[in-house]
Amino acid sequence: MSTTATIYSEEELILLLKQQSREGFNYLYRQYGAVLYGIINKVVYDEQTAQDVLQDVFVKIWNNIEQYNPQKGRLYTWMINIARNASIDKLRSKGEIMKGKIRTGDDVVNNLHEGMKTEQATDTIGLRKMVAGLKPEYEAIITLAYFKGFTLDEISKALEMPLGTVKTRMRAAIHQLREIFNN
Amino acid sequence: MNTREYIESGNLEAYALGALSALEAKQVEADIAMYPELAEEMAQIETTLQMFAARLATAPPAGTEEKIWSVLQYVPANEGGNNAAPKVIPFQPEYRKTNQWKYAAVWTGLVGSLLLNGFLWMSKENTKADMATLSGKVFVLEHQQNDLAGILKDYQKNKAMMADTGMQTIVMHTMQPGHPMAATLYWSKNKGEAYISVDGLPTPPKGMQYQLWVMENGKPVDMGVLPNDMANTPAMQKVSKSVTDGQAFAISLEKEGGSPMPTMQNIYVMGKV
Repeated sequence: MSTTATIYSEEELILLLKQQSREGFNYLYRQYGAVLYGIINKVVYDEQTAQDVLQDVFVKIWNNIEQYNPQKGRLYTWMINIARNASIDKLRSKGEIMKGKIRTGDDVVNNLHEGMKTEQATDTIGLRKMVAGLKPEYEAIITLAYFKGFTLDEISKALEMPLGTVKTRMRAAIHQLREIFNN
Repeated sequence: MNTREYIESGNLEAYALGALSALEAKQVEADIAMYPELAEEMAQIETTLQMFAARLATAPPAGTEEKIWSVLQYVPANEGGNNAAPKVIPFQPEYRKTNQWKYAAVWTGLVGSLLLNGFLWMSKENTKADMATLSGKVFVLEHQQNDLAGILKDYQKNKAMMADTGMQTIVMHTMQPGHPMAATLYWSKNKGEAYISVDGLPTPPKGMQYQLWVMENGKPVDMGVLPNDMANTPAMQKVSKSVTDGQAFAISLEKEGGSPMPTMQNIYVMGKV
C-alpha cells in the first residue's frame, strides 16, 4: 500500500474536514499530528497527558471546523492555538503552574523561577537546542506567553518590566526567530 | 493610525503569542482587518511561528492515528461551540467501553433531539399564538379604519351640505305625548335635495319601519322608508326622492316596506318648514 502523495491546500483540507471524511482525517493527522504533539509536549511534560490532550485537540478540530474563520488567520495557526490552549488548560486544571498565578507579584516571580528551573531540568532537547542563538530573555518571554499562557500583565509582573518593554521584547524575539530560520 | 509605530510596538507579536486579553485580541483583529500593512506583518509573524512549531514537531506513538480515528467515530458531531471542552475519552478504550460510548452517544442524541423537538414545538406554538393575536389586532384595526373612513365621508358630506346656503333645517318634534322624540331634516328646496337624521327615534320593532312624508298642500306624499339601523344613531342619509315643494315633514311607523298613506296614530314626529 502506498500512501497518497496528494497535497491539499488549506481550503481543500477544510472542505474535507467539513465532510468528516476519513481521507480528510488521515491527511490532517499526517500533516499536523506531529506538529501539534510537539506543541503539546512543550506545555505538558507528562507523555500520557500529552497523548490525552492530542486526542482532545483532534476532537476540537473535528467538531469546530465550522467555526474556523479564515479572516482571523491561517488554519495552521488556528490548530496550533487550539493545541496550545488545550494544553495550557490541562496544565491549569492540574494546578501545575497556576499555583504561581495567584495575583501577588512575589508568588508569580518565585514560581516563575521554580518553573524555569523545572523546565531547564526537563527540557533538555526542546526549545534551546532548536533555537540555538536565541537570547535567553527572548526565550523566557516566548515560553511564558506561548507555552504557559501568561498574559502581558502577568509577564510584566513576573519579569518586573513595563508592559511596553514586554511587547517590544516579544517583537524582538519573533524577529530573531525569523532570522535564525531564514539562515 | 501610524501603522509603523503600531508594528514597532510589538502588539501584533503579543497577539500572536496569545498574551492579549480577549478584548485586546478582538481590537487587534479589527485593526488587522482594516490596515493591510498590519495584515502583511501578521502574515510574517504567523509564518515564523509556523516554522517554530515545525521545529518542535514530535511524532506521536505508533497507532495514535487509528485510536484517534476510532474516538472520532463516537464523538457526537458538533457538540457545542468553540467554548465547549470536548469530553475526555480514555486514550485506550476497551471494547465494552466503546459500546457504552455508542449507547451514551445514542441516548444523548435521542434525549437531546426530544428536548429540541419539545423546544421547537413550544416556540412554534408561541409563534402561532402570536400570529393569531396579531391577525386579530390587524382585523380590529382594519375595521376601525373602515369605520373612520365612513365617518370621515359622512362628515365631509355633512360639511358640504351645511355649506349650502340654501339649506333649511327642519326639526321634527314628537307627536306622541309622553314620548320625547325628534328627527332632523335638512332641505335644499331649490336643489330638491333633503337629508334626514333620526337619532332621536327609537329602533323600530321587528317587522316595522319608519317612513318619511312631505305635506304638500295638506296631502302626505311618500318620501321613502328609512333603514332601521339609522334610528338612534347620528347617521345621516340623503332622501332618495326629490323634494321641491312642501309645508311640513313627518315620520310615521309603518309596516316593513312602507305604506301608500301614513297611519295617522303612528305619526311619531312632525316639523313645519
